[in-house]
Amino acid sequence: MSVTTVPKSPGLGRKRTGSLVWHLGALAVLAVVLYPVLWVIGASFKPSKDVIGSLQLFPGHPILANFKGLAKGIADISIWTFFQNSLFYALGSVLGILISCSLTAYAFARIRFAGRNLLFSLMIGTLLLPYHVLLIPQYVMFQKLQLVNTYVPLLIGKYLATEAFFVFLMVQFMRNLPKELDEAARLDGCGHLRIYWSIVLPLCRPALITSAIFTFINAWNDFMGPLIYLNEPGKYTVSLGLMMFRDSDGVAANYGGMIAMSLVALLPVLLFFLAFQRYLIDGMATSGLKG
Amino acid sequence: MGTAVTLVKDAPPAARKTRSAAPADRKRRGRRENLAGYLFMSPWIAGFLLLTAGPMVASLYFAFTDYNLFNSPKWIGFDNFTRMFDDPRWQKSVEVTAKYVVIGTPLKLLLALGVAMLLAQSRRGQALYRAAFYAPSLIGASVSVGFVWRSLFSDGAVVDRTQSLFGMHVGGWVGDPDWILYSLVALTVWQFGAPMVIFLAGLKQVPRELYEAAEMDGAGPFRRFWSITLPMISPVLFFNVLLETVHSFQIFGSAYVVSNSQCGPADATLVYTCYLYQQGFKNAQMGFASAMAWMLLLAVALVTAVLFWSQKKWVHYEEDVR
Amino acid sequence: MGTGTNVERRTVLKVAGVSAVTLGLTATGCGGSDGTSADGTVTIRYSWWGAEERAKKINQSIALFEKKYPKIKVKTDFQDYPSFWEKFQTQAAGGNPPDVFQNAVGFLRKYDKRGILLDLKTQIDAGNLSLDHFRPGVTSVGQVDGKQLGIPVGSNTMALVIDKKVYEKAGVDPTAGWTWDEYFKALKTIYDKTEVPGDTGYFSIMYLYDLYLRQNGKAFFTKDGLGFEESDLTEWWTDGYSRVKAGIVTSPKVVAQDTPKSSLSAGHGASEFTWDNFTVRYTAEGSSTYGLAPIPTTDGKDTGQYLASLMLSGSARTKHPKEVAQFINFMVHDPAVGKIMGYDRGILATTDQYDAFKPTDTVQKEIAQYEVDTAKAGVLGTITPHPSGADTAESAFLRIGGDMALGKTKVADAVKQFFSEAQAAFSA
Repeated sequence: MSVTTVPKSPGLGRKRTGSLVWHLGALAVLAVVLYPVLWVIGASFKPSKDVIGSLQLFPGHPILANFKGLAKGIADISIWTFFQNSLFYALGSVLGILISCSLTAYAFARIRFAGRNLLFSLMIGTLLLPYHVLLIPQYVMFQKLQLVNTYVPLLIGKYLATEAFFVFLMVQFMRNLPKELDEAARLDGCGHLRIYWSIVLPLCRPALITSAIFTFINAWNDFMGPLIYLNEPGKYTVSLGLMMFRDSDGVAANYGGMIAMSLVALLPVLLFFLAFQRYLIDGMATSGLKG
Repeated sequence: MGTAVTLVKDAPPAARKTRSAAPADRKRRGRRENLAGYLFMSPWIAGFLLLTAGPMVASLYFAFTDYNLFNSPKWIGFDNFTRMFDDPRWQKSVEVTAKYVVIGTPLKLLLALGVAMLLAQSRRGQALYRAAFYAPSLIGASVSVGFVWRSLFSDGAVVDRTQSLFGMHVGGWVGDPDWILYSLVALTVWQFGAPMVIFLAGLKQVPRELYEAAEMDGAGPFRRFWSITLPMISPVLFFNVLLETVHSFQIFGSAYVVSNSQCGPADATLVYTCYLYQQGFKNAQMGFASAMAWMLLLAVALVTAVLFWSQKKWVHYEEDVR
Repeated sequence: MGTGTNVERRTVLKVAGVSAVTLGLTATGCGGSDGTSADGTVTIRYSWWGAEERAKKINQSIALFEKKYPKIKVKTDFQDYPSFWEKFQTQAAGGNPPDVFQNAVGFLRKYDKRGILLDLKTQIDAGNLSLDHFRPGVTSVGQVDGKQLGIPVGSNTMALVIDKKVYEKAGVDPTAGWTWDEYFKALKTIYDKTEVPGDTGYFSIMYLYDLYLRQNGKAFFTKDGLGFEESDLTEWWTDGYSRVKAGIVTSPKVVAQDTPKSSLSAGHGASEFTWDNFTVRYTAEGSSTYGLAPIPTTDGKDTGQYLASLMLSGSARTKHPKEVAQFINFMVHDPAVGKIMGYDRGILATTDQYDAFKPTDTVQKEIAQYEVDTAKAGVLGTITPHPSGADTAESAFLRIGGDMALGKTKVADAVKQFFSEAQAAFSA
């Protein structure tokens, strides 16, 4: 995981001005990029009435009511319930993706078996598939299996390697590992399972971490899946819990609570991201996207 | 790491055969490899058959039927497809999606590349910047993003004021059918984290000796970008173009939240999947929606094929970079 | 596995265990889905649309119910209105609709046609559910083709919600029996004196156009189609468009920008036609004072109004029709439930509940008074039928009306488009 750096401009004086220009440029982009984030933070301290349509970035009289309201839960359900459910879904997905996609990727990258090329193109084909095509037949199937209102329909795909993007990412990574490793291990009498577990997986750490981060973020933000498959509010994820503030039937929605909740909901993703983001770049860099 | 790896151009390179193996031995080994391969693949194969292939066959069948979810599907041949071409809203959704893909994807990739190049220089606080630039991509298309976006792009808000400084007064983008699509494009561009990270990865692998050599030859920054950076990162660029384009075709969530789940006004943000969703899940026209999904699949496949064909012309796969 | 720190690893492992258990067990453990457990306790599922405020009230009501019927458990879930119906449709199609659910008049024929709705007549005859002691005229809302497909929980009627401050400033005072001419003149007065457009877009509200048609001897719907001609709508929308152009009706651009807020509460319009019990919303969202005004008339008397209502319906597939009926009966008749729910879903439909709840805040008082006045004025008629697909037609009317007003579609094309989409909805 070596960090190769791109050249600095030669010459000390030029270096100083260059640095200044660089920081100015980066800050300018940063200001534009983070403005909406600031808006959300500001809005979470506004009274519900002012969340929609108010032009101020920060409220004149900041209030804490939105956050205090959260402590009371949403519709008699503690917000911790939603967080636990989301965490279960997100970490469960991460685990599933790591296991199933790496097994599949290992087969594609390191085992020579009949029909591999065909299966590989099928797998790439599924990358292009709009998931709307599958939604209804899948729902009917899970309905018949009496699995609606469980996390099985949401998680099973992750344990069966249906997310082609991650398989592909790992395949590209594993293809780059030197073949000599396998051969040496094989001479020592190791089977594929052993090579996979003791040699390939540890070396694939960057790709695994990248997949884990993306999976976590996707699952955390997933709205459609939980909306369709979960029925009991006690099983709802954060993204569904957020919708419980919304109403289109007369009574105005609690926009303030919604904004505050979405801000709090961001924290776990942010922490997960910050904890692993330094691996992200290397995970990508060495994953064979490049020759 | 000597092996040359191409993107998806061909299947993964074969494991090297042991040259000395006897034919019988090789055959036995082949069988064992087959068995191991399919064992490792078994989760994927199960998932493919159960969750992808089965439902796909079902939806292909629905595409040729009149199916409202409640009655059993009635075979109507190509009627759904002919109806599609006569449907002004379908045409509108194609137009909106095409506009979105053609404008949004390049802008997003340009910004991602620009920022990645900024970040590829090692400076103080670089990691912090990187994390901050990625932040918008963590948020996804949640309802609160909808609120922010609708507020920033409304009459008299920050975007309108900035624009008015340059003498262009539009008013609120989100209420204006001629402008709201651009606020959607802005949202996509804003969430440029993923391609940025991938570009950054590619940039870091460009050997710095190449730049040093070029600089010694007196090549300016533009020249260095054009003849070193661009060719060297072209596989990564290709990967990004492919993924972002495919993604853009399937855009749903952000159109949904920016338009307050209406995909309007005047169908101005009626992206393809939004119309598909309305037809399928609101109006229960599952046959029609399935036909739409298959048209989308065909379109995406076609664009992908064109991209793959074009990569021969502009993507440089180096035999050995190090 | 390569997951960083020890803490992370522990969490991951824990999740691994849990998810393995879930994946393995739910497949077998879910067998008893008819909701009867060993000790004879029956579980029914109740779905409704709304938000957290309503959820709290409903949870309290259910607690009372479960106390009185210890052998029946009620599990609830809720979404906002559009998500609710999308989800309901998917579940019903998958053979898994909730046992009891909130319903509205536009969906009765649609789901009756698809065999989803329980005809509650048998339960009424069996004495599990009573249709007595309802306020006059309410129960007919749930009667379709000789079946009782829904039991009303609260009535509402269309009204004109006005920004009182703006109306006062303009010196406009709406009186019962005022005519459309007077209304449109008032809009102009308001716009001239306050620069606020008088109305937020009356012409794309299906339930208002229904009233206008009823005043003229027609109705929006017949049993299986539309009750008016293309020429009627062309006239209605042409006038509407010209009033947008004149500035006396809020520009649809502004309306689109204000959503999810109403343009009335955003101060971009002085009045809005909607259901009377929705008034609560404007007070919560906006900073002015809001009140209710009478619906304009054609002949100086007839407003075309009728009582509509949210309802509770049962699923034809439920394995526990008796318990469903008992639950609905409790929810609509029990005075304590009335006291908890208040006018959240309209003016309480049964006399017992109506008497049990006395509103304390001005807005709710005003809503109750409005319905009393309307009833006294003798303008309430009976609700006209809603064919299967009425819900889709309603949203098409709103959307296409909006497009038309933006000037993006010519009136003639918009009318054609609406008729074609409505036809498709009826035959779906």
